[in-house]
Amino acid sequence: MANIVEVAAAAGNFETLLAVVEAAGLTQTLAEEGPFTVFAPTDEAFAQLSPATVNTLLQNTPQLGRILLYHVVPGSLSRAELLEMKTLNSAEGSPIPVREGDGLEVKNATAIATDIAADNGTIHVIDRVILMG
Amino acid sequence: MVTDTTRDRAIALPPSTHEFRDIVHRLEAGGSMLPDNPENLKQIIGIYKAYAVPMDFYWRNLLYIAERVFLNPLPAFKYFLPKDYLELHNHYAGDDADLRVWRGDASAHPELLEFVRQGELQRKVPKLLHHLWHDRINMEFAESCMRAMLWHRHMYEPANKFDRYLDSEEYRANADLAIRAYFQGNPLMLGLYKLFPDMFLEQVRQLSYYSNLGLFWEVMAPVFFEMSDLYDEGKLASVPEAMQFLVDGIFAVAARPIYHHVYIRGDRYEIIPKSKGFMWLYEAALPYVEAIFYRTSPFRGTKSYNAQANQVPAEQKDFHYGILYADVFPIGTAGIPPTLLMQDMMHFLPQYLLDDYRKHCRGEDDILSQIGVTFQRSMYNVTSAVIQALRAALLYPLDDPNPRHLQANREFFEAQLDRFIRPEARLRNVQVQDYR
Repeated sequence: MANIVEVAAAAGNFETLLAVVEAAGLTQTLAEEGPFTVFAPTDEAFAQLSPATVNTLLQNTPQLGRILLYHVVPGSLSRAELLEMKTLNSAEGSPIPVREGDGLEVKNATAIATDIAADNGTIHVIDRVILMG
Repeated sequence: MVTDTTRDRAIALPPSTHEFRDIVHRLEAGGSMLPDNPENLKQIIGIYKAYAVPMDFYWRNLLYIAERVFLNPLPAFKYFLPKDYLELHNHYAGDDADLRVWRGDASAHPELLEFVRQGELQRKVPKLLHHLWHDRINMEFAESCMRAMLWHRHMYEPANKFDRYLDSEEYRANADLAIRAYFQGNPLMLGLYKLFPDMFLEQVRQLSYYSNLGLFWEVMAPVFFEMSDLYDEGKLASVPEAMQFLVDGIFAVAARPIYHHVYIRGDRYEIIPKSKGFMWLYEAALPYVEAIFYRTSPFRGTKSYNAQANQVPAEQKDFHYGILYADVFPIGTAGIPPTLLMQDMMHFLPQYLLDDYRKHCRGEDDILSQIGVTFQRSMYNVTSAVIQALRAALLYPLDDPNPRHLQANREFFEAQLDRFIRPEARLRNVQVQDYR
């Protein structure tokens, strides 16, 4: 199998995510450490953000890194395990609510695909960038 | 005002039964808590302009105190802003901006510079005399806002990480380095620091909030300047458009770093480094809105602090003395803090607002109260922008096809409006035009 970064790269619709993970200096962490559960916003999810927002994030990598860490939960958790937990503790420190709605709902995002396995964790693909608060 | 768009959208959900259902429907249609009419638009934009000029001074002076005055035990001249802070480049204006919000210059606004030079006296006399004659910007207002944020700490945890950091060992160590450097060669102050370390540490925490609020307002000043310019050019034509400009602004700068740097004898001490990842939205904007728009502290002139009288809530979360609740008619009398701001704004009113005030109520005689009411309207619009921004960030688009998502949005809007049910809230007042 491959690590989280390789799996995301092979999928093809995470170009923005991989670029910002690289910019924030988190590529190595996601490739080598773990296990992690990663909620991965697609390119379309990032496209919903305004260019100015993305620009400010790219100018300020610690702040960008913090938003990205909100999409990461320690431990490799399957969809079924997530639904049992209801609230997750993100690597950023703020909680992420999860529930069963029209499929798995992660805060205000909906999972498009779940339980994508990688060597060092699990990826769930979501349709929106999620934010703390 | 219920627009046709509201009705179209109401097909998806049954009408709200909330006391403020008209406002719920208006928010769901992408509107503001403030009714959309040209009169409201003129008032809020005019006051944004009048607010932005003193704010341009506030943010510069707050950063000056946080970075340079620091722990000066007798800061008699802390409001005497040196040239380099008046020329300091705003990060959101001018040619070298990180993100150009205002098309104007990055250094202090020309009207502000003129006021600093001449004041109300319209005469060039030494700065000290302007100050002693009280012909100046009321920086005490900015400081009281800062102190309200400091007193209402820990509101937005765990999303807000600033407050917990101020209590950490790492912060203590960073502050310790700066305190020792600042008092280097001063055995008296160093001795006091040894005896009462927490006294100094708490002062540094307050200075970190000076920096926090300064960085917050550094964004708002160019946003308000740009809105005023767009209005003058005819490019902002409705209240919802004005609100949306604020929403876009909030998102654009949400990730700007919040930090506290101190400069001592040419060296920079990073008490809160940018690398901690603190952000404008979570560490400055949201706590500011809660602390200043909603809570602040009871006005000395309207509430008794008598513990037996039980007029002041025991819990800080129940404080409701911010601008959204304030009775602005006694402005200009004793014990009403917003008077300071109203007086500051009076110096920078656009002509069209001044003409309006002369035509209404008691003309220029009660102009401070009239400014106060206008300001309250404008802050209901800013709060609407914050509510819409939070909805966009944490919930769903207004045109989401999923009724469950629309219901979640509605519950959020209704919960926000629940805060204005209490009789002190001025939401009802700003719905009508004869409130002035």
